[in-house]
Amino acid sequence: MWNGNLKTAVTNLRLNKWRSILTMMGIIIGVSSVVTVVSLGEGLKHQVVGQINQLGSRVITVRSGRLNDGTSASNLSIFSLWNASTLTDKDTAAIAKLPSVSGVVSFDYVTNSATGDSGELDNISVMGTSTDMASVLNKQVDYGGFFSSDQQNQDVAVIGTNIAQKMFGELNPVGHSLQISGTDFVVGGVLAKSPTSLLSVAETDFNSAVFIPIPVAQSLTGGHSNILQILAKSNDDNVDGAASDIKAALYKTHNGANNFTVLKQDELLSLAGGVINLITEFISGIAAIALVVGGIGIMDIMLASVSERTREIGIRKAVGATNRQIRSQFLAEGLVLSVAGGLIGIVVALAINIGLRIYTNLQPIISVSAAILAASVSLIIGVIFSVVPSVKAARKNPIDALRNE
Amino acid sequence: MALIQLQEVSKLYGFGDATTLALDEVGLSVEKGEFVAIMGPSGSGKTTLMNIIGLLDRPTHGSYRLGNEPVDRLRSNHQARLRRDRIGFVFQFYNLLPRLNVIDNVSLPLAYRGTTPVRRAKKASDILELVGMREREYFMPGQLSGGQAQRVAVARALINKPSIIIADEPTGNLDSTDSRVVMELFADIHRQGNTILLVTHNPELTRYANRVIYMRDGMIVGDERTTIGSIARGARKIYYEKRKVTDDEIVIGVSSLMHDVPGKELASSPRKRKSRSKKRTIRHKKTGVKR
Repeated sequence: MWNGNLKTAVTNLRLNKWRSILTMMGIIIGVSSVVTVVSLGEGLKHQVVGQINQLGSRVITVRSGRLNDGTSASNLSIFSLWNASTLTDKDTAAIAKLPSVSGVVSFDYVTNSATGDSGELDNISVMGTSTDMASVLNKQVDYGGFFSSDQQNQDVAVIGTNIAQKMFGELNPVGHSLQISGTDFVVGGVLAKSPTSLLSVAETDFNSAVFIPIPVAQSLTGGHSNILQILAKSNDDNVDGAASDIKAALYKTHNGANNFTVLKQDELLSLAGGVINLITEFISGIAAIALVVGGIGIMDIMLASVSERTREIGIRKAVGATNRQIRSQFLAEGLVLSVAGGLIGIVVALAINIGLRIYTNLQPIISVSAAILAASVSLIIGVIFSVVPSVKAARKNPIDALRNE
Repeated sequence: MALIQLQEVSKLYGFGDATTLALDEVGLSVEKGEFVAIMGPSGSGKTTLMNIIGLLDRPTHGSYRLGNEPVDRLRSNHQARLRRDRIGFVFQFYNLLPRLNVIDNVSLPLAYRGTTPVRRAKKASDILELVGMREREYFMPGQLSGGQAQRVAVARALINKPSIIIADEPTGNLDSTDSRVVMELFADIHRQGNTILLVTHNPELTRYANRVIYMRDGMIVGDERTTIGSIARGARKIYYEKRKVTDDEIVIGVSSLMHDVPGKELASSPRKRKSRSKKRTIRHKKTGVKR
C-alpha cells in the first residue's frame, strides 16, 4: 500500500511542479541554512583547534580577569580589551623566573592603527611583546628577523603578512618605516602567514598585527601597560606542574587576589570550542525557524490540495478506500515534499560550502551527522504538518465529496 | 433470503426548521439477480436511497440488511470494506480519477484490497477486455469519449465481482448509441447473475429491467414487475401517454410541461394558478399584437 501511495504522491506532486517546488522552498532554506551554519561552526572549531595546536601543547595561557572554570564558555569575555588588564609586567617577570617555565611572552596592547607609505591602516593591533615570541609560539619569519634582545629599546617592528601587503604591496617591507602614534619604526621582519579564523587565540589576528618591543611600547603609552595575555612555555611535559607554579607565583604578585586565569592547552581548546558551539547553536536555532515555517507552508498547501481534491477523495472512498488509506495517501504526499526538500537542502548546503571555500577563507566542514539530523528533522516536520490535512481528508463524508463539482 | 432488505428506512437532512425528509419510511427488498430500475423526478430520493444501499450514507431511522447482515450501524471503515468487496458504483459523470490512466482507474478497488500490482493489472486487463476497452488501457480518462469513459467506469465497478452494482443515471450524459452500448453491457452483466440497481429518467431503459420502482417525495409509490425487453407500463404512462400537447401549451412553452412531470402533481395549487394567470396575461398581450 505504501509503495502505491508513494508513487501516487510523486505523480501528484509532479503534476503541480511549481507549487511543489515553492512549497519545498521553506524546508530547503531551513535545512541548507542549518547545515551551512553547523558546518561553518565545525570548520571554525577546526581552524581554532589547529591554531591552538600550532602553539604546542606546552604553552600555558594567562589571562586577565577570572573565569569561573575552564569550560564555562559564557565567561570568556570578548570585551576584555576595554577593561583594564589586571596583568602587569611584574607577573611576566615572576613567571619568567620560574624554573619550570622556559619562555614567557606577553602581549601589551598599544593601539589599533599604524601609518605607512600608503596611508593609515585601521583595525589592526599594535602590541608590545618580548623577543621570545617567535620561539615560544613557533612563529616563522618570512623576511628579515624577529627583534633580538639587544634591540629591546630600538624602534623596530615585526609585522604580519596582511599589513605588509597593504602597506608595502609587492615591496620587501624590511628596512621600510611605518608610524605608530607619531613615532617612526623600522620594519625588521615579516611574520609568515598564520592560519586565520574569526576567533583568534590571542584575541587578535597575527596577520594583521604589528609587534614592537615592550619597553618601546610602554614609552609610547606613557609607561602604562595593558597586557592582554601572557603565554608561557613549560619546560617539560609536566604542564600541570608548570601551570600550578604559575598560579602560585601570580597569587604572590597579586597579593592573593584571584583576578587572573591560567589556562592549559586543553582548557583553552574547550573554551574556544564552547564559544563556537554556543554561537553555532544560536544561529542554527534561528535557522531552524525556517524549518518550522517551511512545515507550515507544507500544511498550507496540503490543506489546499485536500479541498481541491475533494471529489477524488469521494471517488476513492466509493470504491472502498478506508479512512486510514486516504490518510496515508496524503501523509505520503507531505512526507515526499518534506523529505525531498530536506535532500535538496543538503545539496544546496554542499554548493554553498564549495562557494565559501572558493571565495572566502572560511573552511566549512559538512558533518554527516548534521546533514542526517537536518534531514530527519525535515521528515519529522513533514509528518507533524501533514497530519492535520490528511486527517481532514480522511474524515470527508463520501457523499459530500462526490457531490462536489 | 433477499439480498437487500430495507425496513422503514428514513433519511433526514438538516435540523430544526430546515429539516428535509429525503426518505420517508421506505421498505424495499431486492433478491439476488434482480435488475431493478428506479424512476422518479429529481428530488424524489432516488440517489439518497442508492447512497444508503451503497453504504455511502447511513439511514436516520430504520434498518438495512445486506445479505442478511445488519450493516446500517457499522463503523465507517467496515462499511468501506463492504463497499470495496460487495458493491460496485457507476455514476452519471463516470467519476474516473483524471490523473490515473484507464488500467489504474479500473484496478483502484483492488489496490485498496492490497492486491499486488501485477495481479491488479492482469485482472484489470481481463475486465477491460470484457467491456471492449482493452486497447485503451493506457489512455488517460481525458482522452476517452463519454461512452468509453462510462465503460471504463463499469469495468471498475465489476473488478471486485461485487454482489450489487449501483448505477446512478449511467447514461444521463451519453448519446443514444453510447447509452445502448453501456446498457447492453449491463444486460450482459445481469445475465451472468448479478444484481443491478439502475437509477434513470429514461423510460426506454426499463426495457432492460425486470422490476421497476417509482419514487416520489422520498416514498416508493409504485413497484412493478416487468418482462425484459418491454417498457414498463408505469413509465410509459408517465412519460408518453400523458404528454398531449395543446396549441395553448405550445405557446406557453416549457412551463406548461412542468405540472405534468411526475411528482409535481402534489405541488400546491394556488401557486400553480398564480403562475398560469401571469403567463396568460402575457399571452393575450402577445396574441393581441399578432392579431
